[in-house]
Amino acid sequence: MRIMVRTDGDLIVEATPDIGFVHRGCEKIAESRNIIKNIPMICRPNIADDSHLNWSYVKPIEDLQGIEVPERALYIRSMLCEMNRIASHLYGTALMGGIFSGHTTMFMFGFGDRELLLDLFEMLTGARLTFSFIVPGGVRRDLPSGFKERLLKTLDQIERHLPAIDRIFVRNPIFVERARGVGVLSSEDAIKLGVVGPVVRGSGLLCDVRRDAPYGVYDKVDFEIPTFNEGDSLARWLVRYEEIKQSISIVRQLVRDIPSGPIARKAPLVVPKGEAISRIESSRGETNHYIVGDGSEKPYRVKMNTGSFKNLPALPFLLKGARIGDMPIIYGSLDYWPVEADR
Amino acid sequence: MGIWIGSLREIVEKVVDTPPLKNLVNWSRIYSLWPAHLMTACCGAEFGAMMGPRFDPERFGMQSAVGSMRQSDLLLIEGTVTKKMLKRVKVVYEQMPNPKYVIAMGDCACSGGLFHDSYSIINDLDKAVPIDVYVPGCPPRPEALLNAVLKLREKIRREEVYPK
Amino acid sequence: MTEVFAKEQGIAAAIKEKLGDTVEEVRVDRMRRLSVVAQKETVKHVAASLQSLGLDHTLAVSGVDYPNENRVDIVYFLSSYSRDDLKDIVLSLRVKLDRENPSTPSLTPIWESSNYFEREAWEMFGVNFEGHPNLQKLLLQDNWDGPPPLRKDLKIPELA
Repeated sequence: MRIMVRTDGDLIVEATPDIGFVHRGCEKIAESRNIIKNIPMICRPNIADDSHLNWSYVKPIEDLQGIEVPERALYIRSMLCEMNRIASHLYGTALMGGIFSGHTTMFMFGFGDRELLLDLFEMLTGARLTFSFIVPGGVRRDLPSGFKERLLKTLDQIERHLPAIDRIFVRNPIFVERARGVGVLSSEDAIKLGVVGPVVRGSGLLCDVRRDAPYGVYDKVDFEIPTFNEGDSLARWLVRYEEIKQSISIVRQLVRDIPSGPIARKAPLVVPKGEAISRIESSRGETNHYIVGDGSEKPYRVKMNTGSFKNLPALPFLLKGARIGDMPIIYGSLDYWPVEADR
Repeated sequence: MGIWIGSLREIVEKVVDTPPLKNLVNWSRIYSLWPAHLMTACCGAEFGAMMGPRFDPERFGMQSAVGSMRQSDLLLIEGTVTKKMLKRVKVVYEQMPNPKYVIAMGDCACSGGLFHDSYSIINDLDKAVPIDVYVPGCPPRPEALLNAVLKLREKIRREEVYPK
Repeated sequence: MTEVFAKEQGIAAAIKEKLGDTVEEVRVDRMRRLSVVAQKETVKHVAASLQSLGLDHTLAVSGVDYPNENRVDIVYFLSSYSRDDLKDIVLSLRVKLDRENPSTPSLTPIWESSNYFEREAWEMFGVNFEGHPNLQKLLLQDNWDGPPPLRKDLKIPELA
């Protein structure tokens, strides 16, 4: 993404984002491949958060076909999605706390812990980043033996590293001074701009699709939704940091409560006539897929709508009046993933 | 005077291009390959993982990407290059000082990959920028990328210091 | 299976009562999904009424191209942050336009969050949004000279 700024000395007067450098035409290509062949391509826009996009694409197809997914498959899907949320938030906090602040310590912490989770993904799905694991009707494979024990051990390891991040960053006056009071987004502006995800929760609004319109098994687990009222960059960073802890607790509950049973129901290779839209809370915000079917095996229209594109209007709004030195921090706090916004 | 300096330059080049000086210069180039992280699409996530603590490219001299093309000599094109991005890839390539090397990372940079029939991407990148090493994969594992860097080092070890 | 979605039916009834004849159709599709079809002449009035009912931001704006029926639809998906009983509902507001020269009033003055979505729909489908503050290219390359990409005119080779 290119940001064109006009400045008055050190203050930014106007900022215009120029996006589209990764526009690969996913929506157009999706109309020419059948629904199963589309899955790897639909997941590529956000490669660090693959399972949320996958579920968001499969859900309208299941709504149109009228299939009920077995309970065990919903538990496995939710488990995969929450693990993916932890991995993606480790990536996001590592970038803003590390690279955009000018050092590499947080980058190394975040990426080192993320590698432990990628080993688990490889054990379950066969790939580090691109799972393509969720299909209409269920999931592709069952949990391998030894997976649950290794998962709980990894979560303990990640939780043991969190107090170090607390000491070095959350309570460090150098980092806090860099991020506090920078890029403040009030809750009225947040509603007007339509931002989603940690950006809207950092501005004091308690909005999370997992609580407002539960899907999967999120109505059966207990978790809190961290919100902060200040609306500055530090609040948005802390929302992600707290969500890591909440996701660890959700995964533990899912591992404890998962039932036995089938992992998939046979689904026909056809998209019935009709339209449906899904709402899934991915790590960067709410993701929607709007699918129009015409009775063939290829979808007639796939509209992908991701959290980063919805958060895009916040960038020129927050940069107005800020200093140039604050630009990396504001950009990092929005956790903008360019590939997801351009599709 | 000009002819004297010209022939002096020829003599210096001939001396440097023979071992042991040639081996010394190439050795120093190999152990300080600084990458320019041109994250054009999703493969950048695996590049980030490669620069992380588990794979540790700093033991090969690849310091974490400093962000300025003027100080880097390895251009990693990670992911799909769209038509809008092509001009910027060329600008980055031309800004880098010699000697410079290019690695095309991922299926999309090699040949179009998953999006080969899209209306807005470039399938044949080697017509725009000369590529030294291709790394297939979608995305390639960090070990594969490190292997590509090792192959590039073999290539640098063999080449001349002042190519004609 | 037919289920009675009581809450959604209640909201649909309230909308029908408020808007009356200005909308063509108000329907409950499935759980938490409602849809409203409006004409392009009355869509601004419908949008203002929906905003006063509590739907305060746009989730997405999508276009759908139907060359066989010679129309292009623009669909707005709306939801609410401020009203707790509407937080889980998605209401889709559909406007049917003529395919040769599609043009509709822009809803950016009512919902600021539609700004970038309408820009993308202009670029991808060729639909003109009257009154939009900044209709410029967003995603395509600067020298794009083909038809709007997401129309069915632009064909890409289909895999076997």
